[in-house]
Amino acid sequence: MLFGAAFAWGAEFSEQAITPPQQAITPPPAPGPAAGLADSAALRATVFGTPPQNVAPMPSRVPLTEINIALPWARPVPAVFWFDRKLRVWFSAQDKPAPLAIVISGTGSDGNNSKLSTLRGALYGAGYHVLTMPSPTFPGFIVSASSTGVAGDLMQDGHDLYAAMQQIVAHLPRKVQITEIDVLGYSLGGANAAIVKSIDAHERKLKIHRAVMIDPPVSLFASIGRLDKLFAASIGTGGDAIERLYRRLYAALANLYRASDRVEIDEDFILGAAAAALKTDAEFSAAIALSFRIDLVNVFFAGDLYAGTGVVVDPQHPPRVGDSLEETQRILRSKPFSEYFTKVFAPYYLRQRPNSTPASLIADNRLDIIGGPLRDDPDYYAQANSDDVILNQQELAWLRQTLGSKISVYDHGGHLGNIGERQQVSDMLDMLAGRWTGAAK
Amino acid sequence: MKRAAAMALLALAVCGCASQSVSIRSLPSEHPAAQNAAAAESAAAFAAAVATANAAAGETGGGAEAAQEAPPPVTPEDAPSMYTYDPWERLNRFTYRFNARFDEALFLPVSNAYRRVPSPIRSGVHNFFGNLSEVDSVINYTLQWRLKLGVRSLGRFVINSTIGIGGLFDVAAKLKLPAAPTGLSTTLAKWGMHPGPYLVIPLLGPSTLRDGLGYLGDYATEYAVDVAKLYRGDASWGLAVVNAVDQRSNISFRYYSTGSPFEYENIRFLYVRKRLIEDEGLRAKVAKKGAKSTTQQENAAAQPAGK
Repeated sequence: MLFGAAFAWGAEFSEQAITPPQQAITPPPAPGPAAGLADSAALRATVFGTPPQNVAPMPSRVPLTEINIALPWARPVPAVFWFDRKLRVWFSAQDKPAPLAIVISGTGSDGNNSKLSTLRGALYGAGYHVLTMPSPTFPGFIVSASSTGVAGDLMQDGHDLYAAMQQIVAHLPRKVQITEIDVLGYSLGGANAAIVKSIDAHERKLKIHRAVMIDPPVSLFASIGRLDKLFAASIGTGGDAIERLYRRLYAALANLYRASDRVEIDEDFILGAAAAALKTDAEFSAAIALSFRIDLVNVFFAGDLYAGTGVVVDPQHPPRVGDSLEETQRILRSKPFSEYFTKVFAPYYLRQRPNSTPASLIADNRLDIIGGPLRDDPDYYAQANSDDVILNQQELAWLRQTLGSKISVYDHGGHLGNIGERQQVSDMLDMLAGRWTGAAK
Repeated sequence: MKRAAAMALLALAVCGCASQSVSIRSLPSEHPAAQNAAAAESAAAFAAAVATANAAAGETGGGAEAAQEAPPPVTPEDAPSMYTYDPWERLNRFTYRFNARFDEALFLPVSNAYRRVPSPIRSGVHNFFGNLSEVDSVINYTLQWRLKLGVRSLGRFVINSTIGIGGLFDVAAKLKLPAAPTGLSTTLAKWGMHPGPYLVIPLLGPSTLRDGLGYLGDYATEYAVDVAKLYRGDASWGLAVVNAVDQRSNISFRYYSTGSPFEYENIRFLYVRKRLIEDEGLRAKVAKKGAKSTTQQENAAAQPAGK
């Protein structure tokens, strides 16, 4: 008995001696309120976006091509991702020599959505060739262009994006004449754009001239921590929180549909229903939190599959084409960002980078890592809203201090709620063209 | 000889597409100015509709009599489970994947090419097929005992077939008779048939057993009625293809544009919930019959439906 205990203790001890001391990985701290700086108006703006009557003038026609490109460094494609073999980007060409604007999408988003359509229209109208790219956290990018499969690390994603951009630019049609390259992006894509420019400053392969960040996060993990809090506050925690939300939504939609006397549910109905069903701040918060959670489910799944961390995917028996993923999805829906960090992201990157710690990973995912260039290089610009859901007071102050006159801070808009708005577009174009002289008084 | 050469060229083209590491495809242009103007217009219309609805609600004091007639509102407890009955999941997933590949390789490129046809011609084609489907709608509205809507469909068919030159122009919509197509699947729902298991139909896409039967029935009806000998003549195959391309070019859905490995689950979830909510609507309309006049609601419904 005693022997046994001693043996067990010894075994435990020797095991500890062999494996490196396992740090307890704690979730990143999320200071401040759940919704960052947002007030009611900001939550509404974040959900509804710019009202069409406030959108900047747009060109009448924008040509569009789709480019599918296989990238040589991509990792073997897992069976369940058979459809994401190639990276898909969208390109609009001017028929004369022109600067190229590369636009990077926000968290979990593809390279062609309504926000990018708006930006594409504004940029094309101002005489740019426009290339829109998915976020490095979009599943299609993770599978076809990521060299790790574990998305969300600013530097790693920046390098993957930069490499993909070089391949795409090299394969653009010959007749396209590019005079210079600028990068921009919104939300996480904004941070990605600045990182890409900073990488290019060393490698000089694309000779990127200017970068504009639209509503960027300052600390990735602080921002996603805020979104976790927003989710917990507005939807709840635990496995049945989503189910409760679903039941509420179902009932609300069914009652609205009954009242509408419509024959079929179509897009108009859904938009109208959203406008009628969302009333309280909590409901708007839930809509925002849910849309981020839906993106996270994909990132989490892909990361777990590639990193072999075994949270929901058995590394020995990965799912095959035709297998049901319903249960996997159900489990992932209840998992917050912080769990992606502690169970997939940190274990993977701690293994990749021997001298790192969870704290250092968090620190590496702040815009501070390019604080010097942001401060000193005149070609980095930013736009931010003083009521952004994903920022707090200190972070906004940091952006203002660091970028000085190269930032424009708007009073309203929440997170991305003023993309395409007249002032936002005209400032963005001024920044890209080097005409920006500071916020108009 | 010529045929062999053509085959060889085709084979080369197919191989080329498969092995290429970069492919560039041109898409229909975007028209942001017009799109934004349309969005502004519909936002204004929606705001106006909400305002009038609120005003009306204020005037009638909440419509107490309507509340008596209407069935109790759907509560969260009434919502169906988040799980979907899908006993044929393996087959369905296979079909979904087949549909995705077919769409990517053939259906979508063809319908994108079709979208280069000038829009008056396309809307003519769209109206033409829409008009033909009114026949099926008339029959099914009758079977559903929703005679008012049946008469509306009949009226549309008569007006558009004559003044609208064989259905090429939707004149009826301009006369405040907007399209409201229905089919056998709705009739079956009205008769109380449960949607049954989820079913992915080759080429057509997400469905349920009931809706699949509905499609079959609609086709059989059209075949039986055989308006203007279009469904049994020599040209019927050609017409079916044009109809399919027209339908596809009016749907913005693209397989796997979400990039998500859970797309099958998501589409299944949304499709079945959408149909269940439409069933709720049907049930409510049975109970509501004879209650308040529907003119106001019909006007509200007419607003954005005019395509």
